Amino acid sequence: MLQQRGQGRRGCDGSGLLLVTGDLDRVLAGVDGARMAATVATLAGAPFEGRRAGGTAARDWLADRLNDLGATVTDDRFPVRSVPEVYADPAAIWNGRPLVFGREAAVHPASADLPSPRAGELTVAGQGDPRGRWLAVPPGMGLFDAYGHAHDAAGLLVGRAVDAYGWHYTMLAGPDPGPLPVLMLDPTTHSAVLDGSGWFSAAAPVRRTDVTAANLHATWHPSAPVLLTAHYDGVGDLPGLRQPAAADNGSGVAVVLEAARLLAGHVPVEVALLDAEELGALGSAHHAARLQQAGPTPLVINIDGAGHLDAAAAVEAGGPAHGLLAALDQAGRHTGLPLVAGPVASDNRRYAAAGLAAVGIGAGMRGYHSPADTADRVETATLAAVCRLVVATVWLAADYPAKLSSLIGD
Amino acid sequence: MSDTEAIRGGFAGDPAQALSVAGTAGCCGNAPQATMQLPEPAGTSTCCGTAAEAAAEGSCCSSAAKADAVATGQGCCS
Repeated sequence: MLQQRGQGRRGCDGSGLLLVTGDLDRVLAGVDGARMAATVATLAGAPFEGRRAGGTAARDWLADRLNDLGATVTDDRFPVRSVPEVYADPAAIWNGRPLVFGREAAVHPASADLPSPRAGELTVAGQGDPRGRWLAVPPGMGLFDAYGHAHDAAGLLVGRAVDAYGWHYTMLAGPDPGPLPVLMLDPTTHSAVLDGSGWFSAAAPVRRTDVTAANLHATWHPSAPVLLTAHYDGVGDLPGLRQPAAADNGSGVAVVLEAARLLAGHVPVEVALLDAEELGALGSAHHAARLQQAGPTPLVINIDGAGHLDAAAAVEAGGPAHGLLAALDQAGRHTGLPLVAGPVASDNRRYAAAGLAAVGIGAGMRGYHSPADTADRVETATLAAVCRLVVATVWLAADYPAKLSSLIGD
Repeated sequence: MSDTEAIRGGFAGDPAQALSVAGTAGCCGNAPQATMQLPEPAGTSTCCGTAAEAAAEGSCCSSAAKADAVATGQGCCS
């Protein structure tokens, strides 16, 4: 049941959506950018250690924040197997020169565990005797092919681009570990080792553990037509390197919390803060499956990145989302936020794959999944703009779900 | 602000374009795709890279990811 909606002004946007903007504008005026920035700073803080999936510190803090908003909060736990964790600096040395961990050298996600450094001569994969040597994998040679040239090799060295700030990109979701240690080198270093002369020494300290992840669910009404989601996990810190995961996705969580704060007393909405997105959107997969079993079909709005706005916020939709897109478009026009169709590779895809109308909204920034994703680079204005968009969209979508679904025959 | 005024926000074109965006086939950073359809092993070595690198033979997770990376001009990890 909607509460405290008042009369407001009414108009029609041309698509058939009836707008009630008086109360909405009052709600939008309450969007507090500083509050969201503070949330991001907290989530990016050292006590949460990059919010690795399955961690409890951020989860507990977020549950408290949702309780503060008057929600009924539950967590839904699920197992995640073989989560990779680099547990030490690989201590890579090339021809006597130590390579900077995270910038010049990093452990490849498909690497086997090598706890202690192994030294050997350098050569190029496919050239000469590989036994006991580190093999530089030339451009164009896939890892699978390199294995074929690497019998009894010390390990493989692959080139990989770094981000605009010179950091390797940490990726957790990916292939199972292969038979050899594998390090990633930045393009400059990799180009140099392709000379194939000299020697190389490194460890590849990566372990894989099973964890229990958990989604947080907050409800204010028995059934709500709109579900707001954001993943709260990050890629986790590396030894000696903080990876704060501020934009990805502390910013999305902050937006959802702020939107919930403003909407919960006016519009029926529910919230899911999702775990294990960085491991393959496993939290949303788990939740989407539960929704399929239980039957509710909420409209899903997922926020993945609200750190920096270029020309427009990216929107990716899936499932029967034409009506939701119409609401989003109208909300964008009402709040003045430009939108553009673009990839938002996040939890929204899981809900869409489950047959729900789902949109992902992203206004991220470069340097995510790395030490560059710091809270100071998350723009308060972007947080506020995305939050206003979300609030207005939920306001419209929750008020007119039947109209939304009938506009274009979803 | 008028509730009927078309201001600078919203989609410039058809909102339904968001239902078929480029860049959804997946590579690094595409967590859902990585799980739902793991890339072929041959592509795992150079999963990430610039758009130019993605355009090179065998430089992305899968043919679809490569096509997306080239189409979007973002590289595999941008």
